[in-house]
Amino acid sequence: MRVVRVAPRSFRNLADEPIGFGPGLTVLHGPNGAGKTNVLEAVFFALTGRSCRTRREREAIAFGSSLARVEARLEPDPGDDGEPLTMMASISGSEARRRLVDGAPAEPGDDLRRPAISVFMPDRLALVKGAPAPRRAHLDRLVAALHPARAGLAREYGRALAQRNGLLARARRGAEAAALSAWDRALAERAEPLVAARAAAAAALAAPFARAASELGLDGSAALAYRPRTGELDAGGIAAELAARRESDLARGFTGFGPHRDEVEVSVGGRSLRRYGSQGQQRLGLLALLFAEREALRAARRRLPLLLLDDVMSELDPERRARLVAMVDDGGQTLITATELDHVPAAAAGLAIADGVATAEERR
Amino acid sequence: MHPAPVDRLIAELGKLPGIGRRTAQRLAFHILRSSDEDAFALATAIREVKERIGLCETCFNLAEGPTCAICSDPRRSRELICVVEEPQDVIPIERTGEYRGLYHVLGGALSPIDGIDPDDLRIDELVRRVEAGEIEEVVIATNPTTTGEATAHHIGERLRDRVTLTRLASGLPVGADLEHADEVTLGRALTGRRSV
Repeated sequence: MRVVRVAPRSFRNLADEPIGFGPGLTVLHGPNGAGKTNVLEAVFFALTGRSCRTRREREAIAFGSSLARVEARLEPDPGDDGEPLTMMASISGSEARRRLVDGAPAEPGDDLRRPAISVFMPDRLALVKGAPAPRRAHLDRLVAALHPARAGLAREYGRALAQRNGLLARARRGAEAAALSAWDRALAERAEPLVAARAAAAAALAAPFARAASELGLDGSAALAYRPRTGELDAGGIAAELAARRESDLARGFTGFGPHRDEVEVSVGGRSLRRYGSQGQQRLGLLALLFAEREALRAARRRLPLLLLDDVMSELDPERRARLVAMVDDGGQTLITATELDHVPAAAAGLAIADGVATAEERR
Repeated sequence: MHPAPVDRLIAELGKLPGIGRRTAQRLAFHILRSSDEDAFALATAIREVKERIGLCETCFNLAEGPTCAICSDPRRSRELICVVEEPQDVIPIERTGEYRGLYHVLGGALSPIDGIDPDDLRIDELVRRVEAGEIEEVVIATNPTTTGEATAHHIGERLRDRVTLTRLASGLPVGADLEHADEVTLGRALTGRRSV
């Protein structure tokens, strides 16, 4: 599946005109403030109903309008089965966002019909340098993309955790912590498969991550490792540990042990990229992570994700730019923004962006 | 905007689960249009169910009178109890025709978020039934959800070493393909495998 067209309406500074995309690599180029990143955001918004830049999607409504809307047209790649698909998302100042798939309200299963999306944006660096929670969530999304049947594991664990925490919080306010050990076991039984699924997904990422990092020139050996808080414990062991920590959990009013405290560690030369990496290294680390996921999805024979790369070229030297272009030239669809078309050394389709208007150019 | 009785009917129907305001309106006008006979039959049915149906004193299943039809059936085995969350869970088990024991309806499942503790369920009553002596096996048939599983664990802790405890197996639906089974279901099916 690839995106052949998006039609924005009152979305940031973009003109209300359809923008077409070819297969493979498309370079969006134009001066700063022209609206290049807005095009990437519009694609992401149409497919997910969310923004890849902000939690407040309403910011995307063009000044003076009450409603922003983007419609995306997806078509199967040659040789791919599947039906063409129209996904639409809208947001207004007064109402909740709406998502329609082929004209009907979106359902959870619909997101399996579109490609997964990998986004590189400077503010996504939090994934590498921020707290562990977004890394866990990211790993869980990869688990779901690699094995759709495992998509529910994190959700199921989350439900059991919320119940146990609810009980602990009430006990802290003086109620009796009734049936706590039953919740220990329910939680532990959901923790074990989640940890196994995360470990398998992280293992599938490790080698391609090291490879992509070295391709992109992240000096020193880069590594990605999953550090489960529960170590090697199985469900029985986790339940026993929860029981042993009961007093401190009761004192704090929440569960201090379990896969919700897992860490995914990204390191270069044995040193944590999160703590000790330079901004440039962290950018490369994030990029390598996205490429590693792409590799893992390909190896699992899943569809390649749609890559949205915002301003990746500016900090790379010409040799690394060429490597990056070679890495995306593998059949998947990629949209890259750059201030200069020359920054992308490839026979790519160009889209010139100026004042929110996109003009297609001949393939070089 | 409608005459008051119509508005009242819409408001009452709108309290039912899954019924929004527009559906409530449609149902109300359907009732208005229908024959007196049909409309009063509905009203009578609602009245009867509230006046005549209560809970069985022994198992808390629905009952017309102090004891339900299952508890008062002399052909049912008194040594076996199947524990379910809600009265409606009895029906599918009865439909199988495989089960000849009694039931115990908990009236829900543990859910601390909703403030449902063991005291809010009929667990003490279950323990007393077991302590009374006649029962040899308790089959826990709570739902395979987070809350249902925790409830099963809790009952397991309360009844351990007093009686034979079993849990309804979860596994693959009959006629389904392994390839399409989700991992949780498949994992449980593996854990609960049996020799052939």
